[in-house]
Amino acid sequence: MTRCWIGAVAVMWMCLASVGLAVLWHYDNAPGEPAHAPGSWPSHSHLSRAADAPTLVMLAHPQCSCSRASLGELEELLARTNVHPKTYVVFLKPAAFGDGWEQTDLWRTAKRLRDVSVVRDDDGVEAQAFGAATSGQTLLYDQNGRLQFSGGITGSRAHQGDNAGRQSLLALLNGGRNARTGTNVYGCPLFASGS
Amino acid sequence: MPQAVPTRSRVTELFEQYQSDLHQRTDRLFAGLLGFQWIAGILFALWISPLAWSGTVSRTHVHVWAAVLLGGIINLFPAALGLLRPGRPSTRFAIGVAQMLMGALLIHLTGGRLETHFHVFGSLAFLAFYRDWRVLIPATIVVALDHMLRGLFWPQSVYGVFVASQWRWLEHAAWVVFEDVFLLMSCVRGLAEMRQTAERTAALEQEVRTRQQAENDERALASLTSAIGLALTRGTELSTMLQQCTEALVKHLDGGLARIWTLNDTERMLELQASAGTHTQLDGPQAKVPIGVLSVGMIALERTPQLSHAEQIDPHLDDALWARREGMVAFAGYPLLVDSKLVGVMTIFSRREFSLSVQDTMAAVADGVAVGIERKRAEAELKRRARDLEEAHEIQRTHAQQLSALVDQLRVTQRHAEAATRAKSDFLASMSHELRTPLNAIILYSELLQEEAADHGQPGSITDLEKIQSAGKHLLELINDILDLSKIEAGKMSLSIETFDIRAMLDELLDTAAPLVQKNNNRLNVHCEDTLGTMDSDLTKTRQILLNLLSNAGKFTRDGVIALDVRDTMIAGRPCVEFAVTDSGVGMTEAQTEKIFEPFTQADVTTTRKYGGTGLGLALVSRFCQLMGGSVAVQSAPGEGSRFVVRLPITGHDSAVDAGAPAKVA
Repeated sequence: MTRCWIGAVAVMWMCLASVGLAVLWHYDNAPGEPAHAPGSWPSHSHLSRAADAPTLVMLAHPQCSCSRASLGELEELLARTNVHPKTYVVFLKPAAFGDGWEQTDLWRTAKRLRDVSVVRDDDGVEAQAFGAATSGQTLLYDQNGRLQFSGGITGSRAHQGDNAGRQSLLALLNGGRNARTGTNVYGCPLFASGS
Repeated sequence: MPQAVPTRSRVTELFEQYQSDLHQRTDRLFAGLLGFQWIAGILFALWISPLAWSGTVSRTHVHVWAAVLLGGIINLFPAALGLLRPGRPSTRFAIGVAQMLMGALLIHLTGGRLETHFHVFGSLAFLAFYRDWRVLIPATIVVALDHMLRGLFWPQSVYGVFVASQWRWLEHAAWVVFEDVFLLMSCVRGLAEMRQTAERTAALEQEVRTRQQAENDERALASLTSAIGLALTRGTELSTMLQQCTEALVKHLDGGLARIWTLNDTERMLELQASAGTHTQLDGPQAKVPIGVLSVGMIALERTPQLSHAEQIDPHLDDALWARREGMVAFAGYPLLVDSKLVGVMTIFSRREFSLSVQDTMAAVADGVAVGIERKRAEAELKRRARDLEEAHEIQRTHAQQLSALVDQLRVTQRHAEAATRAKSDFLASMSHELRTPLNAIILYSELLQEEAADHGQPGSITDLEKIQSAGKHLLELINDILDLSKIEAGKMSLSIETFDIRAMLDELLDTAAPLVQKNNNRLNVHCEDTLGTMDSDLTKTRQILLNLLSNAGKFTRDGVIALDVRDTMIAGRPCVEFAVTDSGVGMTEAQTEKIFEPFTQADVTTTRKYGGTGLGLALVSRFCQLMGGSVAVQSAPGEGSRFVVRLPITGHDSAVDAGAPAKVA
């Protein structure tokens, strides 16, 4: 009797664990809201575009732990490109928070990246200019200001590793063909729903 | 002491106990580890991704909830099993699965960091603590399934690449199996070492048990020996002694039944004397067992111990069924022998096997009991003989009293006889004296009258006077003999020792004796050895002995030959002179020779009438010889003459010789 009871509990346990892992898996693989990036470099952006090189912009929420993987992938990407783009990492700074709120470890990590400009985006002006809604949204504009790529550079939420976004950007920057122009982006919403 | 051999069952029992202990310890270890993992997962989630943000709004990150809830689900159930049901296979299987699930969760929580995969390998190594390779199977299956599913649907999360072969999970699973192989070898080796430890421990336990058993046996045997010794030495009856022995055997050897039979040698039957244990009555069917019948009788017949051990109590044993029913596992029977002589049989049934030391002790006990039985029998025999001796002694005492009375009576009689003898001797002495005085006067006067008659020419009177003188001399001679004899018998005769020459003594003797010998027309032959010298003795009595013998020979021989042979000889190492007087006279019968040395006795009643004499001559010869330490013997046959041999010591005489003892007749 006890044996049957234990067996039943064990089966239930296995099911619960499997379901839990499946839910977690689903969460990790659930993409954020895609960006509605403008096809050309937004004129009202405060960021300056490079005229002789592509410009790469990553918009991130400074408190989003998932974006740590995006920064890691960005570092990987920059290390492997033949053409070095002008790169910005733009961290959201809502007006509701005081100064320094954005100075997180993500900020410091981004600051350590070579040839990367870390920019504070007060109240999400730049994010809205680039139509980004999810932290980790990465945009690539060519030297002519045309949008080449818009998407995430992680395979799932907070997971580093080989992914379609990074591969596409590498291909675009290195002159490759058959590159995708967009991928899912995984991260925290940059703006609260309804805002 | 022999090497202890552990039983296989004990080795298995210890081995399983070690395994169970190890499983339980490892279960408890994993219970702690699972709890730690859970807490660590939560802390890790709180540290890495405490909050999820949506613009300006934050909420607890899903990973935190996953660490709390999913981590709790994964860890707490097997941890509870480890605490509540340690040692069960299901517990460690659940723990194995949980470790792999926790690995999957951690991979999620760490954002797919490859380093987190080491949790899988570490967990497998930890699982090997169980020394149960079966635990690795479900864990490996979970890892393989996880990699397969992720590889199919999300390879980047597990392989770190965006595109991977659908079979790549096999490579990862193979690495896990690769580790499993080493862990399996480790488990197998660990189990082998555990079994060796179990074998060593079991051997040690067995040795300890054996030693303890030996010590217990020694104590029991010492007590048994002491009890048997007490029983054998106490001054009790045989049956009591044997009963105490059987009770000691039962008490100290865990015996079920101990019995002792003694041999009735007359009936060739063993008789039950003592029984202790399950049966104590002595009048059962085995109260009397003939030699050679039943196992007891066979032991007595063959005189060899019989031993049956363990479950194999001899089915032919008379009490085999009873023994098995009572749980007896060993039987021993010993013949009770004393110097190869059978005195009984001792048997014992026991509820445990007899060790060699117990067997040796029982053999010694059997020897002791045998000696005890023999001793008791000897004591009984001794008592019986003492009783007989006492009875004999009583009879002897009665006889002694009677003898004492008789001796007293004899003493009185002797005193009377001695008084009578003294009176007789005194009478004879005085009588002889009184008789010899007138006799000497008669002889002297008759001699004077003969001379006067011759002077007066009265020859007719001379003859009468000669008869008077002759009768007087004969009477005087008779009186002298009686006087001598009475002196001897009265113990008043003494020797007058002097040194004299034998030849001179013979020459002088022959002057006197020759007429006596030759008067019947006999011829006297004298032969003396040249070596004859002197002798220290009583000359008068020596001469009278020879004179009496020669006179007798002349008296009983007519127209014959009388010989006197004298020579030196040795009697019993003493130098003696042998005088042999041989005649060719009438001789004597054997009956006659037996009494001629007695006083007043002649060969027959007609002798005195026919040959004359007093019958005292040979009696005096015999008494004188004995008085002088010599002897006289006679050989004679009717019509063939007689031979008297006198042997006298050359020096002195043997005073120890009883003068009253009779002479020898050859």
